Amino acid sequence: MKRVVDVSIPLGPVHPCWKEPARVKCETRGEKVLSAEVELGYMKKGIERIMRGRPWQEVMFLAERVCGICSVIHNMVFIEGMEAVSGITVPDRAAYLRVVMNELDRIQSHLLANFSYCYTIEHETLAMYLLNTRERAMDCMERIAGVRVNKAYMIPGGVRFDLRDTDRALLLADLAHLEDSVHRYGRMFDTGPLIATRSKGVGILMQEQARIARAVGPTARASGIAEDVRLTHPTYRKLAFTPIVRTEGDNHARIMLRFDEIFQSLGLIRQCLHDLPAGPIRGGGTCGAGETVSRGEAPRGELSYFIRSDEYGRILDIAIRTPSIPNIDACTHHMLPGVTSLADVTSVFVSADPCIACNER
Amino acid sequence: MVQSIFWYLKEFLRAPWIHAFLFAKTAPLVTPSYFREYPSLTEKECTHCFTCRMICPAPGAIEVLQEGGTWHPVIHRGHCLRCGLCVEACPEGVLASGRILQWQEEDRTSFAATFHIQVDHATCMRCGNCCVSCPVNKEQDPQMASGGHSANNEVIMKISSGRHTVIHEERCVGCRTCEGACPNSAIRVARVVEGLQGVAEG
Repeated sequence: MKRVVDVSIPLGPVHPCWKEPARVKCETRGEKVLSAEVELGYMKKGIERIMRGRPWQEVMFLAERVCGICSVIHNMVFIEGMEAVSGITVPDRAAYLRVVMNELDRIQSHLLANFSYCYTIEHETLAMYLLNTRERAMDCMERIAGVRVNKAYMIPGGVRFDLRDTDRALLLADLAHLEDSVHRYGRMFDTGPLIATRSKGVGILMQEQARIARAVGPTARASGIAEDVRLTHPTYRKLAFTPIVRTEGDNHARIMLRFDEIFQSLGLIRQCLHDLPAGPIRGGGTCGAGETVSRGEAPRGELSYFIRSDEYGRILDIAIRTPSIPNIDACTHHMLPGVTSLADVTSVFVSADPCIACNER
Repeated sequence: MVQSIFWYLKEFLRAPWIHAFLFAKTAPLVTPSYFREYPSLTEKECTHCFTCRMICPAPGAIEVLQEGGTWHPVIHRGHCLRCGLCVEACPEGVLASGRILQWQEEDRTSFAATFHIQVDHATCMRCGNCCVSCPVNKEQDPQMASGGHSANNEVIMKISSGRHTVIHEERCVGCRTCEGACPNSAIRVARVVEGLQGVAEG
């Protein structure tokens, strides 16, 4: 069908609103966006190729460096894959500590995602409040693992460091503080009239569209799809985890869903700390040969690792599928077309929380 | 209008506000004591067992060098990831970083490793560089010269009858010096590491 297009406007790859380089090309008529297309490939690292031939103690660090914002889940999914391949079991205490670390990572990732959205709609005050709150979550992780970003916390058969009672008390105090701040800023976001005009009804992703694009994570859950890989994870099943779902499917719903998930994560961490069994944190066990697909719920959605290893636990073949791939697809093909103002393109793109580093590995 | 001017004056002429305005200071940036820094040396003696080199995930981040008759590990900061695995793996406690050493003693955690030498005979040129560069071979047979021939059967590997032969795989410490010395990448050392707890070291 012939279409009248005024101009094709490129946004990026260098753009003040993008955290990472990507180019969004919008075909517009007037202010209205008719269709959009995303160009990627500005930061290919080739990590999967570097991983080949290496044992877990090297691949673990490479897996974390796929994405700096959600490094814990990359480590967790890879290590769980190696455990599944080699038949290693994890002590209960280590399994709970893994969930604590993973949920702390989810909190900081969601806070960063909401920061970038607020920053994109030029609500810089709220953005900076959220970034400041995120520092506290980072400090919690630093106290447990020793570093803020690439923690390297999990190893096959357990975790590297135990949680001390003193650190646990400090962690609980920090969680209370986090809850207060996130509650305050979440309410600011929810009730802000100017935020609502920029967010409500903008970038709508219908449930059917989300299914067609196979959206995952908060993007899918904000459109009414109750999908979460944590539902199938044994430790999360013990904690009686149920996903949070919203049905609006607009920018506002996606950001509020992340705020709600932060509270859920705080609850899961508290539950873990309450139920934390005594015992060892490492069970031992060597990695062996096998082939598996390991899945986990990253802050942005389903992350899966295909792993094939040799008899000494070295990686023969590995393929990483990150959640941002379908989410970017959902964003460009379903959220962006029909956006009534070009000024909303950046905020719609950022609200899907695309992680380009994950995407291009 | 007048009311709001009064409101602002009342708000700003408070002693705490003026004090905060004039003397506001950001808390100084302090690295917490538990931060996993680049490994530093403790006073303990290094036995050059090369465990740190074996476990290090970053290429060229750690070397064990002899200087003035004593051995000690050297961390190359541009390459080090600060993962702390060398600190955990060292059986002598030569390296320290953050709270790792203290926690390790309390929890009795350790790493155990076995090594398997694999040689691809299709690409091996029998140059013997691996045998000559091997630090364990050097201790067993200091006379081993280029070509990798040796009359000593206590070495890990040597070139014997025109073929690369691995004799004592169990003596390998996994330092991967041979991998770096091989011109064809024909030799590979598999390091099978497992994390343990509550097992006596050694």
